[in-house]
Amino acid sequence: MKKPALTAALALALLATPAWADGDVRCKSGPQANWKPLSALNKKAWQEGWTVVKAQVEGDCYELYARTESGQAVEAFFHPVTLQKLIVFRRGKEVFRAKGFTPQ
Amino acid sequence: MPLRRILLWLLLACPAALMLEGMASGRDLPMDLLHPSGEMAVRLMVLALLPGPLAEYFGTNALLLGWLSIRRNLGVAAFGYALLHMMIYLVDMGMLSAVLEEFALPAIWTGWLALALMLPPALISFDRAMRRLGRRWAQVQRFVYPVFLLSLLHWMLLDWAWQPALLHLLPLLVAWSLRGAHRDRLQRKLV
Repeated sequence: MKKPALTAALALALLATPAWADGDVRCKSGPQANWKPLSALNKKAWQEGWTVVKAQVEGDCYELYARTESGQAVEAFFHPVTLQKLIVFRRGKEVFRAKGFTPQ
Repeated sequence: MPLRRILLWLLLACPAALMLEGMASGRDLPMDLLHPSGEMAVRLMVLALLPGPLAEYFGTNALLLGWLSIRRNLGVAAFGYALLHMMIYLVDMGMLSAVLEEFALPAIWTGWLALALMLPPALISFDRAMRRLGRRWAQVQRFVYPVFLLSLLHWMLLDWAWQPALLHLLPLLVAWSLRGAHRDRLQRKLV
């Protein structure tokens, strides 16, 4: 009985680990020392009329998960130095891209 | 219910319990649990789909027999995690109008369709229905193939990453090719 239990526990542990990290957007933002604080995003979100669900560092970008006024779920990437809104996704669909910005 | 089955279900319920506890305690945001719950559903589907073709190729040994004997439980558990995934999604969205509004996005309706297609096989997963429906029962269980592919599509469209989906398809592709090779050999023997 010991062995199957152990196998099952191992299998379960394996099952519960996430497969891969997503988000391959590059912001080319340079050294972190020059970045504005993450909390500065709150103001940007407020200007957009968004409610912040979660703000985090993703690679060399700031990433914001938010809700628009109508409740749409959006995922937006901001430049950590200029705080410019670079690209916005809605459920994997690109809905906004700043002029001249290439995500890769 | 035999003790083994109870233990199996306790084990299968552990990740769900952790997720619900994380959400209730505020440790995890609902949106952070979307991935784990969805991935559990997909992985349980993989586990339910593997023993069939493997048993056909390797013949039945103790391991595969044991695995086959819990196959239905794994399938029902996959449905359970898909339901949990949907509930977490609804909690995360908060507004029904927002849920309806994004329903038509390809990344979203593929998920809903996968869940809807899981419903019939899950609803007839008990012994009596199995005996009653006979061959039809097995036919309905095959819904899992489109469900699985739709789930992978749902995942790829949301994340724009094909590696995780491929990674989950890989063991099945291997098992299916083994089964295919085995069937070919059998056929040639018969001719």
